[in-house]
Amino acid sequence: MNTRSMKMIVLALLVSAFVALSACGSKSQSPGSSNAGAAGKSVSGGKTLNLLTWEGYADPKFVKGFEDKFGVKVTATYFGSSDELVAKLKGGGGNVFDIISPSSDVAAYLIKEGLVAPVNLEHIPNYANLASKLKDMVDVKKDGKVYGIPFTWGPDSLIYDADVIKTPPDSWNVFWDPQYKGKVSIWDDISNIYLIGQMMGLDQSDQSKVYNMTEDQLQQAKTKLVELKPQIRKYWASAGELNDLFSNKEVVLAVGWPLTPTTVNATGRHLKETIPKEGITGWIDRLMIVNSSSNKDLAETYINYVIEESVMKLVSDATGYGVANINAVKHMSPEQAKAIHIDDMDNYMKKINFWQEVKDRNRYNEIWNEVKAQ
Amino acid sequence: MQDEPSLSVMKPEHPPKHRKRIWRPRLLILLIPPIIWLSVFLFIPYVTLFINSFWKVDFGTIVHDFSFDNYKKFFTNPLYYGTFLKTLRIAAWVTFFSILLSYPLAYFIHFKIKKNKQLFYTLVIIPLWVSYLVRAYAWKIVLGQDGILNNFLLAIGIIHKPVEIFLYSPYAVILALTHIYTPWVLMSIYTSLEHIPRDVLEASKDLGAGRFRTFFHIVIPLSLPGVIAGATFAFVLTMGDFLAPQLLGGTSSMMVSNVVYSLFGVANNWPLGSTIGIVTLVVVLGILQLTHRLEKRTASFEDGTRGR
Repeated sequence: MNTRSMKMIVLALLVSAFVALSACGSKSQSPGSSNAGAAGKSVSGGKTLNLLTWEGYADPKFVKGFEDKFGVKVTATYFGSSDELVAKLKGGGGNVFDIISPSSDVAAYLIKEGLVAPVNLEHIPNYANLASKLKDMVDVKKDGKVYGIPFTWGPDSLIYDADVIKTPPDSWNVFWDPQYKGKVSIWDDISNIYLIGQMMGLDQSDQSKVYNMTEDQLQQAKTKLVELKPQIRKYWASAGELNDLFSNKEVVLAVGWPLTPTTVNATGRHLKETIPKEGITGWIDRLMIVNSSSNKDLAETYINYVIEESVMKLVSDATGYGVANINAVKHMSPEQAKAIHIDDMDNYMKKINFWQEVKDRNRYNEIWNEVKAQ
Repeated sequence: MQDEPSLSVMKPEHPPKHRKRIWRPRLLILLIPPIIWLSVFLFIPYVTLFINSFWKVDFGTIVHDFSFDNYKKFFTNPLYYGTFLKTLRIAAWVTFFSILLSYPLAYFIHFKIKKNKQLFYTLVIIPLWVSYLVRAYAWKIVLGQDGILNNFLLAIGIIHKPVEIFLYSPYAVILALTHIYTPWVLMSIYTSLEHIPRDVLEASKDLGAGRFRTFFHIVIPLSLPGVIAGATFAFVLTMGDFLAPQLLGGTSSMMVSNVVYSLFGVANNWPLGSTIGIVTLVVVLGILQLTHRLEKRTASFEDGTRGR
């Protein structure tokens, strides 16, 4: 009996370890078409470039052209939140990835931590054509060197199903409307706290206030988010999951990115995005080169390729995001230019409070976890 | 070289000789791979985890500054101990339902089915060959608002609008986990039923005990070790699960592994994540120890019959 039980215990441990391992493996690999584990080794003679990006930033629509032109293989791993990106880089992923696409909330932090390398602009002639408003931002510059090349930007707007909601909501308060109980989805991320900060009017005078809320304000935000819980169907963890929630008619209201209407409307649905009166937050994504990458030259070649005006048009096709190269508008139809607001960029950007570094990110994360655990 | 020990295993009729050979150095060489395996994949990670749990994090960087703060935090912040207790509760439900489903089924297959017993057994086990992820996603299709269950209930007129509570709720998590761990529990119960000697049951009936009396006084006590082993499986595996709540859980279905995942994968707070890992590990080892003793106590009869 004794040995049998011992065997059982060992078996149980092994089984749980196996389950955990296989679970982790499939999770990190399922979103990407390729895996990061085999990355780093050259494939079919050519080199491999490994991207660690937001979903949609390695779409075959524009990556394929690079692969064919330079005879290299591009693999991608997706992250679902800025914190996940930092955790992946710091948790030993530093030497696996070549290019990352951090948003404006963690870009400065990555430079400070020495996780990314400065970019040699001489190798990136297309940099000259990028919108100066994006190039002028100082958070990715240090000691006269540029660390991040602007890639895309966009809003965290209110997305609604126009088949169900006929009049465009004009306030975030619609999320708390009992009529839409169980029909709302928000992102599983601390950005919800920024949103409540905007509803509290904190960023009226100083935009950075929502990124540096006091403990008191954080507690208020927590109360508000806990009140929202019965309304929520599911906190979405990736853009793909939000697309599914809309596709399967599980939700009619959400915070999300333009990628969702772009993708879901292609199947004949009518999702719309709007800017409520309290304002919205938004993000600017830059491409950065990981410091320990052994493919820095190839990475620069890729960055130069992907910000070229005709490629940027393809990026916009795939994601529905605003692109950094204003000349891309030459390749677009007027409708597309209007949809991504590239025709009226300066004006539109004024309505967005772009993500900034959060000093006490740990506390924000803890508050958000407390909301989820309630 | 390796022929001899394996040959000796083939001859169980010489137990004393067999026992002597175990301590031959040649056999010890065979033990080296599992020892390396266990230390690299089990022992060293646990020690690292244990050491990590005493450090702290400053702006995303681990500071080697010994303190019990993480443990204090675990036992004072409801986010951590509350989620842990909730996880225990969910695990208890899953265990309960798994046994409730498997026991009658195992009993039925073993005692009532005369032909094709193996086929029925295999049918129950087959889901184990399907990936966990596929099974979890399948529940999304079944339970969703536009899903099979809702459409069926709408069609036969029991409900008039889709029921939301099926998916993205704690019930969905318990349902999916029960589905996933029932085969494990069943296997274990089935094995213990198989070990009950038929003549014991016949003796019980000869002595005038009815069907129910035989079941409650003979079958249940004798199969208890299998039930306990199966329950341990379901309970411990549920405690470590994070995919089901992630995929099927609603806004309040976070389990302890999700917190650990978030601490490691999002907040970059390895020390606190390690602390929760260690606490979970201690609790699990406690449970295993407890069930091991229970099993031993309930299995006295089986030990006695082994010599026959």
